[in-house]
Amino acid sequence: MVISRLIARLQRYEGWFGVAAGLLIMVGLYMGLVTSSPDYYQGEVVRIMYIHVPAAQSAMFAYTVLFGGSIWYLWKRDPIVDNMSHAAAGIGVFFTLIALITGSIWAKPTWNTWWTWDPRLISFTIMLLILVGYLMLRTFLEDKEKEATYGAILAIVGFVDLPIIHFSVEWWRTLHQPLSISTRGVSIASDMLIPLLLMSIGFYLLFTYMLMVRTQMLYLERLLEAKRGRMLSKVHV
Amino acid sequence: MHFFNVIKWIAWKDLLSELRNRENISSMFFFALIVILIFSFSFSLDPKTTHELMPGIIWIAFGFTGIIGLGKSFLAEVHNDCMEYFQIVPAPKGAIYLGKFSGNVLFMLIVEIILFPLFILFFNLDVLEKIPIILLIFVAATIGLSALGTLFSALTVQIRAREVMFPILLLPMAVPIFIGAVEATRGVFSGDPLPMYVDWIKLLVVFDGIFMVVSFWVFEFILDY
Repeated sequence: MVISRLIARLQRYEGWFGVAAGLLIMVGLYMGLVTSSPDYYQGEVVRIMYIHVPAAQSAMFAYTVLFGGSIWYLWKRDPIVDNMSHAAAGIGVFFTLIALITGSIWAKPTWNTWWTWDPRLISFTIMLLILVGYLMLRTFLEDKEKEATYGAILAIVGFVDLPIIHFSVEWWRTLHQPLSISTRGVSIASDMLIPLLLMSIGFYLLFTYMLMVRTQMLYLERLLEAKRGRMLSKVHV
Repeated sequence: MHFFNVIKWIAWKDLLSELRNRENISSMFFFALIVILIFSFSFSLDPKTTHELMPGIIWIAFGFTGIIGLGKSFLAEVHNDCMEYFQIVPAPKGAIYLGKFSGNVLFMLIVEIILFPLFILFFNLDVLEKIPIILLIFVAATIGLSALGTLFSALTVQIRAREVMFPILLLPMAVPIFIGAVEATRGVFSGDPLPMYVDWIKLLVVFDGIFMVVSFWVFEFILDY
């Protein structure tokens, strides 16, 4: 089991991921909030970007891990990989929520609305719903193997669905109303790029750290349940 | 058993059992009727707003009807302990999916075709000469909805919170169908020429294809457990 071995090896350095993530995020936050210059068009509001963009990237990364893990699980039936996908979904909800909330706070002063029909907004919201649906579905299934299989199926179908949603919403907008809001194609000044990069790497490391810890937790939970089951059956016998 | 024979017999079985108890179709029909009635007295519409709102209203009604009907599609199998037979029958699992799916498409289309005249009646729609293109949109959207609905019905039918989980899983994923169907229907109602909204129908067709292929492939894993 290649992936299980990889996870086990990574878990040995789990603490370092956490430390590195903490350091990078602290430095990145300091640079982003204090030393970097405000944006020419958006002023101080732009500083939300240093949280928003890395959170969105990590959320998409989490969903990709969930998708990859699901395919791998259906193929190889490795329970550790299923634990990892399960963990990725929960952490994905966390990062998606951060991205959506910070995006909304940024949109109010910039676009003068909390919410709009933007393809990214819609596909991100749908992603949140799919992730929550995934976690809910898993809680309602008792059999562990069934839980893993059904979850994997849902994650795969949802991952195929996301680009379609993105493009159909984008299409919807471009066919029906002129493009009033576009994602900024402005090249970024280096004193903004460096903190953004630091934050991005920091968030990826934070995600990896959380993934390791959560995967381990789910594994231990499963172990505990198995032991309890064994003890119960002993009592009854 | 031959692949297409399996599809045919499963669809035929569903049709026959539906004809005998009329449980699904009648609950779908009355539910949709109530939705139409509520909408018709919630909005007092002038003709211009009708064209704006109607596509959304129609697809809300059909979508909810689909939830009622599709969600139950594997219930009879579970109640009669037939899921195990699906697992051990020496037939391709994908064919079982397609058989169930064909039955669902048929039921939903029947309900939609019975209900559409009521929409025309209650909301004074003037679309009689565009019936063929409307039917095409109905068929395209229904195939997509049923493709997803059949899969999620099989996924949720054996869990405790079946009634809650089915719409929670289906509705977010069905967003592109609703967008495509609503936009195409709006195009028809506002009297646009076909090339202006044909892209939406194409989107529906592409979506149908993708989801049938993906569901066909993953359905096997559902029956394995």
